[in-house]
Amino acid sequence: MNTSLLTLAWKSLANRGVSVSLTILSIVLSVTLFLGVEKIRSGMRESFNSTISGTDLIVGARGGALNLLLYSVFRLGDPTANMGWDSYQLIASAPNVAWAVPISLGDSHRGYRVVGTTTAYFDHYRYGRDRNLDFAAGQAFQDIHQAVLGAEVARRLHYRIGDTITLSHGVGDVSFAEHAGHEFRIVGIIAPTGTPVDRSVHVSLESIEAIHVGWNTGAPPGAASQDGAAPDLTPDSVTAVLVGVTSPIRVLSLQRQINTYRGEALSAIMPGVALSQLWSVIGVGETAFKAISLLVVIVGMSGILTALSAGLNARRREMAVLRAIGARPRDVFALLILEAASIAAAGALIGIVLTQIGFALIAAMVRARYGLDLGGSIGLPELGVLVSVTLAGAMLGVWPAWRAQKNALADGLSIRL
Amino acid sequence: MSAPAIALSRLRYAWPGSPTLLDIDHFKLDAGESVFLAGSSGSGKSTLLGLIAGITPCQAGEITILGARMPPDRPGRRDALRAAQLGVIFQLFNLVPYLSPLENVLLPLRFSAERASRLDTAGLSRNEEARRLLGVLGIEGALLERRSTALSVGQQQRVAAARALIGRPGLVIADEPTSALDHDARDAFLDLLATECRATGAALLFVSHDRSLAGRFDRHVDLATINAVRTPA
Repeated sequence: MNTSLLTLAWKSLANRGVSVSLTILSIVLSVTLFLGVEKIRSGMRESFNSTISGTDLIVGARGGALNLLLYSVFRLGDPTANMGWDSYQLIASAPNVAWAVPISLGDSHRGYRVVGTTTAYFDHYRYGRDRNLDFAAGQAFQDIHQAVLGAEVARRLHYRIGDTITLSHGVGDVSFAEHAGHEFRIVGIIAPTGTPVDRSVHVSLESIEAIHVGWNTGAPPGAASQDGAAPDLTPDSVTAVLVGVTSPIRVLSLQRQINTYRGEALSAIMPGVALSQLWSVIGVGETAFKAISLLVVIVGMSGILTALSAGLNARRREMAVLRAIGARPRDVFALLILEAASIAAAGALIGIVLTQIGFALIAAMVRARYGLDLGGSIGLPELGVLVSVTLAGAMLGVWPAWRAQKNALADGLSIRL
Repeated sequence: MSAPAIALSRLRYAWPGSPTLLDIDHFKLDAGESVFLAGSSGSGKSTLLGLIAGITPCQAGEITILGARMPPDRPGRRDALRAAQLGVIFQLFNLVPYLSPLENVLLPLRFSAERASRLDTAGLSRNEEARRLLGVLGIEGALLERRSTALSVGQQQRVAAARALIGRPGLVIADEPTSALDHDARDAFLDLLATECRATGAALLFVSHDRSLAGRFDRHVDLATINAVRTPA
């Protein structure tokens, strides 16, 4: 019985091809927009939450977890203090520590932060689902006065391997304190990652030391302080240390050890925890996005109401015929509900397929340029959209269906000519 | 079938806010009988058909269709009785526009399992029976699958007749089915309708204002003679 009513509904819809197609189109567009926003949103959240992965602990001078995360990973804000080189060495040599990568911040190049680190950084830094830093060109720095650029730095500033740059003291967009006399040759460019690595200039810790020789007072060195002797380039301090442990179960105890270390006031944070804390703060915007795209879906679906209501008067005759043949008022009601739900389901289905095709087409480009993963097969979100759009369509059909039923009861067998 | 196709007793009906329109002490249409019911427009013909078809609930009195009462308080039962026992032909626009003639004819079988099972017990395939009825009424070949709205009025009326007759209903009611047809088409249609009703054993209640058609039926009844209410002419 119900299957045949569904057949009736579909034939009826097919008979009104143009207006039904337009209604379906508006649903397709709104569903596509909604799913697109959702995909980008979840891609961004996932990408954000895995800005740094594979690192078990980030250690810095004692302070807030978010602050440490912001300056060590996102290159935002400034560290309150540095931590001693001996503390780094202690952590690096501690049992259960697989690797430790020091980073030293404080300089910039045309607004992009400079990260002083070791070559171990390129081996151990992970983002996304355990993805390595790949070199789009060149290789890691081998010596002082060599720089490795993030993808965005190279793209925006049109740098290529072999170009030379100078670094500025401090992190302002425009710095008046150039590290003059220290030209850095670009030896490597990292492939896009979609993380702050793209916006970083990487040099060795020794390079950082070298350009700061004589800056002990915080002011550029005067000519007098240049004594010509080869200086010791071992740093006194670093900004933070990225730590990997030998086994995940060691993380908590190591964190406690570092946090309670008496030799220096240190903080150790787990990046995953800090990242989701940070997202809960800045992720408010995504809710607004979701709300707006949801509203668009509602607007798109309201076309169902128009499409069904507009035809009702013209269909009174058809309803009277159906009644005469033996259709109950509730069959008339169900017929219109099925029509509404079918329009909605068709719109949702086409929208889902279009979104999949669209994202499959641009996924490679987006990944290459922004390091964002937008692929993914049809999953629970799509199924949820299909079900809820179809149900919402059926709900929208209630009003015209109720009117059609009322008309059919009032008209009886008399057919207005 | 011994029970009368239609039995009305002490039927009274008035539309809300209007004076009494119908007051029929009794009226009977035997099983298999064909009756011409004459009445001018406004005489309450359509209202009477609505009552007999069970679309309109009767207010007083009793309506019995082939031995089964049309219960005024049970709309679902009336719908089921109509689906199982009645075939209805209107003056115009009988067909569901988005279905082919063949689908239109098969439609009543979807709304009444009883009607469908009557064909099954008779050993008839639904599709073949629909094609047979349409064939007898002159709708064949490409016409079967054509859009119903592309058919001529005469063809549409014949499809409607086939639809009314499928599944062997006990009663066919026709409300001015020929008034939109020209003279030749009208005669052909009436012959086919009467022949097929007789062949399937269905009683026929044919309502029209055109009294020149009355001679083709077993009996001729004027609504004014059975209705106690005098309607202004």
